[in-house]
Amino acid sequence: MPAPRLARRTFLKGLGGVTVGLPLLEEMLPGPTLAAPASAAVPVRAFNVFFGLGIPAPLQAEGLSGVLEPLQPLSDKLLLMRNVDHIRADANGINAHFDGATAAFTAEAPNGEAKAGGPSIDQVVRQAWHPDGLPTGMVPTLVSGTFFRRSRVGRFVHSYNANGTVAAAMQERPRDVFDRVFGVVAFDGVKNARQLRIKRSVLDSVLSEYRYFTGARSPLGIASRARITDHLERIREFEQRAFTLKDTPREGAPGPTRPRPSKLQHGGAADPGGQGIDIQLDDLVAEWRLMADLYALSIEMDRVRFGSITFLAAGERLRVKGAYEYAGRSIYSFDDARDLNASGDMGCSHEWWHKFSPGKQNEQLRAHAHMKMREVAYLLHKLDQIQDANGRSVLENSLLTVSTESGDGRHNDSKRELSGVFHAITSAQGRFKTGQIMDIGQEGLDVYNTMLAAMGCQRRLGPVDREPTLVDQILW
Amino acid sequence: MNAPGTLLLRGSTLAACLLWWCAAPSQAAPSQAAPSQAAPSQAAPSQAAPSQAAPSAAGVARVSRDLVVLYDFGDCSGDIVRDRAGVGTPIDLKIEDLGMVQRRPGTLEVRGSTLISSLHPARHLTQKIKRSNAVTIEAWVQPSREKQSGPARIVTLSKDSTNRNFTLGQDGNKVDVRLRSLETSSNGLPSLAAQAGSFNTQLTHLIYTRDREGQARIWLNGKISASRKMTGRLSNWHRAMRLALGNEINKSRPWLGTYHLVAVYHRALSEKEVQQNYAAGAGATAPPLAVGKAQDPRETYFELEVAPIFANQCLECHDTFSRKGGLDLSKKMTASTGGDTGRAFIPGNAKDSLLWQLIEQDVMPHKRSPLSQRDKRVIEKWLNDGGVWTLQRLDPAVYVHGGRPDVNWLRRLTTFEYIETVRSLFGIDVTKEARALLPQEVRADGFSNTAYNLNVELKHIEAYQRLAGIIVQRVDIDAFRSRFKKRVTFTDKEMGDLIKKMGQTILRGPLENREVIAYRGIATTLAATEDSSIREATSAIIEAMLQSPRFLYRIERQQGDESVQPVDDFELAARMSYMIWGGPPDAKLFQAASRGELYDEVSILREADRMLQDGRAVIQAERFFVDWLHLSRLDYLQPSPEKFPHWNPRLADDMQRETIAFVREVIWRQNRPLSDLLNAQVTFVTPRLAAHYGLPLRSSDEVQNAEKLARYDLSNVQSRGGLLTQGSLLTVGGDEASMVTRGLLVMHELLRGVVKDPPPCVDTTPVPSKPGLSQRGIAEIRIANKTCAGCHARFEPLAYGLEKFDGVGGYHEKDEHGNALREDGQILFPGDAKTTVYHSTHQLMDVLARSERVQESMTWKLTQFALGRPLTAADAGALQEIHAKAQRRGGTYKATIGAIVSSELVTLIMTGEEQ
Repeated sequence: MPAPRLARRTFLKGLGGVTVGLPLLEEMLPGPTLAAPASAAVPVRAFNVFFGLGIPAPLQAEGLSGVLEPLQPLSDKLLLMRNVDHIRADANGINAHFDGATAAFTAEAPNGEAKAGGPSIDQVVRQAWHPDGLPTGMVPTLVSGTFFRRSRVGRFVHSYNANGTVAAAMQERPRDVFDRVFGVVAFDGVKNARQLRIKRSVLDSVLSEYRYFTGARSPLGIASRARITDHLERIREFEQRAFTLKDTPREGAPGPTRPRPSKLQHGGAADPGGQGIDIQLDDLVAEWRLMADLYALSIEMDRVRFGSITFLAAGERLRVKGAYEYAGRSIYSFDDARDLNASGDMGCSHEWWHKFSPGKQNEQLRAHAHMKMREVAYLLHKLDQIQDANGRSVLENSLLTVSTESGDGRHNDSKRELSGVFHAITSAQGRFKTGQIMDIGQEGLDVYNTMLAAMGCQRRLGPVDREPTLVDQILW
Repeated sequence: MNAPGTLLLRGSTLAACLLWWCAAPSQAAPSQAAPSQAAPSQAAPSQAAPSQAAPSAAGVARVSRDLVVLYDFGDCSGDIVRDRAGVGTPIDLKIEDLGMVQRRPGTLEVRGSTLISSLHPARHLTQKIKRSNAVTIEAWVQPSREKQSGPARIVTLSKDSTNRNFTLGQDGNKVDVRLRSLETSSNGLPSLAAQAGSFNTQLTHLIYTRDREGQARIWLNGKISASRKMTGRLSNWHRAMRLALGNEINKSRPWLGTYHLVAVYHRALSEKEVQQNYAAGAGATAPPLAVGKAQDPRETYFELEVAPIFANQCLECHDTFSRKGGLDLSKKMTASTGGDTGRAFIPGNAKDSLLWQLIEQDVMPHKRSPLSQRDKRVIEKWLNDGGVWTLQRLDPAVYVHGGRPDVNWLRRLTTFEYIETVRSLFGIDVTKEARALLPQEVRADGFSNTAYNLNVELKHIEAYQRLAGIIVQRVDIDAFRSRFKKRVTFTDKEMGDLIKKMGQTILRGPLENREVIAYRGIATTLAATEDSSIREATSAIIEAMLQSPRFLYRIERQQGDESVQPVDDFELAARMSYMIWGGPPDAKLFQAASRGELYDEVSILREADRMLQDGRAVIQAERFFVDWLHLSRLDYLQPSPEKFPHWNPRLADDMQRETIAFVREVIWRQNRPLSDLLNAQVTFVTPRLAAHYGLPLRSSDEVQNAEKLARYDLSNVQSRGGLLTQGSLLTVGGDEASMVTRGLLVMHELLRGVVKDPPPCVDTTPVPSKPGLSQRGIAEIRIANKTCAGCHARFEPLAYGLEKFDGVGGYHEKDEHGNALREDGQILFPGDAKTTVYHSTHQLMDVLARSERVQESMTWKLTQFALGRPLTAADAGALQEIHAKAQRRGGTYKATIGAIVSSELVTLIMTGEEQ
C-alpha cells in the first residue's frame, strides 16, 4: 500500500531489535502532521467493533476455515492477530467477562463498573487529531450496539474518555442511532423570529456559564471540568442542530429515513435480572444489520468518525432460536434452551462457552461464534462498499479494531483468563499489514500502543513507567 | 504559654536577645503585672484598657479555631519572621532590610522603610478565606507616629499599590481597611475606616472582622469602632497575592511602629472572641508548634501499596478461614508468624523470604494470574525496606475500590433530584415529563447516582431545554417573582436586584457579578424586543438558570492546594439537603449557611435532625433502598412460564411495594435500627401476594381490594420476617433459586465479603437438581470439592436458610422432585475463622440482624449512596467513626444519616491543585 507509512525502517535502522525505550519510541513515530493521510480529503477515523463471548484460542488456530470463515472474503483487508494477551487486565478478577470487555480497546483493567482503566483506541486517536473538537455538525463519538445483558456498563460500552468514563451514551435502538446522527432538535413552542431571538439569548447566557466553568477561573478540578466541557460540547451541538441543520433528513423526506421502532426488547426489559431472554435469530440479525447500515451511513455522510459498535454484551445471555445458514448451507438450528434442557440463565447460549473443551466438537459454540462473525463481516462489507476520495474504501482507510472479551482464553493458559484474545484490524491507509494471520505473542497494551503510535498519537495507554515494546510485525 | 527565651539558643544575636529578655523583662516584653492588672478580664473585657507595656493575661487563651497565620515575634533571630499558626505550609516572612528593624523577643519594631513579606503568594491563606467568605485580621501594634499615610500598610495581602485582597492600614490617625470583594474594586475600595483620632501611638489591639453575610467591623481594644455591610463575596480574591507587614509589596506605603502580634483567621470572630483575644493580651504567644511524630513513609507504603495487593491477591487462600499452608496474611500477628513451612517473610530481606520467592516465580498466587511486574516490585521493595506491617487486620472489602478516591467528580442532578429540586423551588411536579425526556440513569458500582457515571448526552441538553420551557409555562411567574421582588422594571439596577435574589434560591447560593450581568443580558434582549414584559423576561431568565451548570450540577470549589479543606457553607448546605432530601436546601438551611451556622457537629446535627422530620427525608430513604436493593429489576421479571405457570406479573409490583412499605414501617414509623430490617416480624402484602406467600387472607374487604397492602404481623409465621424473606430479594436467584446468586447477594450487600470469579478451567455451568439431589445437596457437593470450597464455603451456606423459597418467593417443604428442603446452615462472617451455625430461616435472620458486620455494611452502603461514589481505603477511618457515632445514637436510619452528614466525608473536600 502506498503509505503514509511509518518511517519505521529509517528509525529502526541500526537498532537491531524491536524493543526500545519509551523516549525513542516517541521519537520514532510520527505525530499527526507526519502521519497525515495521503489525501487530505480522507479523514482519520477509528472505530472499535466488539462482539460478546469471544472465540476460544483453539478455535482461532483453525484460521479462516472454522468459525472465522465469514471473514474470508475480506481477509485481504484484515490483519488477524492471535496470541494477544491482556495480562494486566485480569488481575482484579471481578468478573472475567466484564474484565475482558473493558480491556478490549483499552488494554487495562476496569476502574469501576462503568469506568475503564484508561481511554479506548478510538478516543486517543480522536483526541490526537481533533484536540479542539470535531468539525461542526459531527457527532463527536457514536457509541451504538445491540446487547441485552446490562449489569455493568463495561460489558457493552466500548469507547472511553481519557479519564476512563464512557465517551458517549449508548444508542441501542436503530431509531436512537438515527436520531443521534441525523435528528433535528427544535425549541418547543417557538413560532416566530421574535421567540427564536429570545431563545437564542437564553442559550447565549447558558453557554457563557458553561464557558466560565471550563475556563481559567473555573473552581472545578480536572475531572469535573472535563464533564462540563462535555456538556458544553453537547450544547454547541444542540445549538448547531437547532439553528443550522434544518435540512437534515426527516421521516418521509428524501435520503435516509427514520427506521421503524425496534422489535427487540431494550432497556431493563432486555435483561430480566441476568436470567436471559428468548430471541428469534431472524429478529436479532435484522436489527444487527439495520444498526450496521445506519452506522455505515453515518460514516459515509461524514457525520461520524469515531466510536464503537457492539454485537452483544460480554457474557451475553440469550436463548436463541432459529435456523442459521451461511453461503447456502445450513450451519445449525439454534434452540439453546432445548439443547441445554434448561430455562432462565441456564438455558442461554452463554453456557456453551462454559462447556467449551478443546477436545470436544463444541458444535453450538462454533455455530454461535460463526454466526456472530457473519454479522461482523456484514458491517465490514458495508464499510468496504463506501469509497473515499483516494479511491479506497472506508474499510481500508479507517482504523477498525475488532475484538472481544476473554475468548475463553483460560484454555490457552490455565493461569490467565485473558490470554489469546481475538483481534483483527484494518490497514488504516496502509499503516498496518493486512491479508495475514499473525501470532503476535505480545501484550494487547503493546499492540495498541504500536497502533496508536502509527496513527500519530502521542498518548500511550498503560502505566507511564512501563517500558513499551514496539510490535513491529504489524507495521508496514 | 511558651517562654520566649527558651525558644532557640542558636547564634550570638539570639544569645543577645536572651540576655536582653532576662535583664529587662519589664520594658517591652509582657510585664508580670500586665496580664491581670492591665488587661481586661474575660468577664469584663472592655472596662480596662491594656497597658502600654504589652499586656499578656495569664490563663486567658487566645482563640485558635480557624486560625490561618500567626506571628508572635517570639523568635528574634535572623531575617525571618516565623508563622506559628501551624496550619499548612507556614507563611514565613522575610525582612528585606534588617537595618530598618529592631527585633526583640515578642516584638518587631519597624524603624524605617523596608518590606517584610512572604517570598511566595500566600495561597492557602487566600484559598481558605475565599472558601469561607469571611475573615478576621488582628494586630497588636504601636505606631511610631500619630499620623501616617497611604494608608500605611500594617498588614497587607496584596500585589502592588492598586491590587489587593486586603490591607489593614493607618490612614492619618485612623485605621483603614480595604477588602477586595465582588462589591469593591481590585484595590479594595471603598474601604472601611474607624473614627478619626481613634488610633494613636498607644499600643492598640486592632481587629477587622468580616462575616459570611458581609457584615464588616473594626474593633479597637475590644470595642466596635466602625461597622458596615459589605455584601460582595470574596470569590474574586486573587491567589497571587503575597502577605506583608510594614509596607506595600512595591514598598510604596511604609508603616513605622512596633508589632507585638499579627493573626489572620478564615472566619469572623464573634464579639466574645474578639474580647477574649484582647484579654489574652499583646504578649500572648503561640503554643509550641505541635511537632507530631513524622509518619514513617514505610507505614504509608504498606497501607496504600502493599495491603491492597495482599487483600486482592492473597487473602482468597490465606485469610483466617482458609489458611492454606497454615498461613493467615489477614492479621498482623499471624502474618509475621508464618505458615506450615515457617516464616513467610524476613523483614529487610526479600531474596530469602519464601513469600517473595514464590511470588517471583509465579507459583503464587496459586492457580491465579501472576502478579504484575509493578506489584512484584512493590512487594520486593516493601520487604527490602524492612517489611513494616501496620494494620492489625486486612479487610479485602476496604480495598475493592482502591486506596483513595481518584478525583473529585462534580455531581449532576439525577432525574429524581431534578424532579425534587423543581418541586421544592416552584411547587410543581414534572415527574412525568422528566422521566419521559431525560435518559435513564445507568447503574454503576451498585447505585444509579454514581457521580463519575452521570454523563451528559445530546438528549440531556434537549430535555433540559424542553423541561425549562415546560416549567416556566406551568409556574405562575409573577407570583414566583414576587417572592423576591415585588416591583421590577427593565432598569439594570432593578433587574440585577431581582436576578441576585431569585438566582440565589434557584442556584443554591449567592451569585457573582458576572452571573448577574449574563442573566441581565436576557432582560436587555427582551427590553429591546417588541411587546415584551417583565413576566416574559423573568421566564426567560429562569429558563436560562434552569439550564445552567449551577442548577444542573452541584458545583463546588474543588481547586486548592491539594490539601483537605472545609467545603463552604452553601456547598455544605447543598450536600446535606441532597443527601437527606434528594433536593435543594430550604429557607432555614439556606439561612443557616448564610449565617455561618453550619460550622460544627452540633449545629450540623441540629439541622439534620430538623430535616429528617420532613416527608422528603422519607422519600429519599426509600430511594436509597430501591437503588441499593435494585428493586427496579422487578419491573422486568420474566419467570419461566413452564416452571411457574401460575405466576402473575402483577406480583412483581406487589413485591416492590411490600419492601418499600416494610422499610417505611421499620425505619420511620418504628424508628428501629437499620439492621432490624433483617428480622422485623411484620410485612405488607396485597391479597394476591398474601396468597402467593401462603399467608391467610383475613377479611373479605381485603380480598375485594386487590391492590391494597395489608399489614401482617409475622410473629407467628416462622417462614417469613425480614427483607431476605420477601419476594423482591428472593427472586434474585432466578428460576432455579440459585444458591450461588442468593449467597453472593447476602455476602456482597450485607457482609461486604469479597470473592473472585472462578479460576480458569472450571466449568461453571449450574447443575440442575433431580430426584435425590436438591440444590442444597449440590451446594454441599461443591463445597466438599477442595477446588471450589475456598470461595463457595464462604457464600453458599448463607443461602441455605432460604432453600425453602422457590425462584419467585413461594414457600415449599419439598422441591419439584420431591426432595425435602432444609433451612439450617452456617455463616462465615468475613475475618472469622469459624462459622456461626443456625438452625432455621428465622435464626439466620436473627444472626444477621445482630451482626456488627451487617450493621457496618449498611452504614457503608448508605454512605456510598450519600456520597455518590464508591468507597475506598482512604475512607475507612471516617466510616468507622460514622458507624460508631450512628450506633451510639441507636443505629437507625436517622442516626446514620446524621453521622454521615456531620462527618469529614461531607464537611471536607480534598482539593486539587489550582489550574
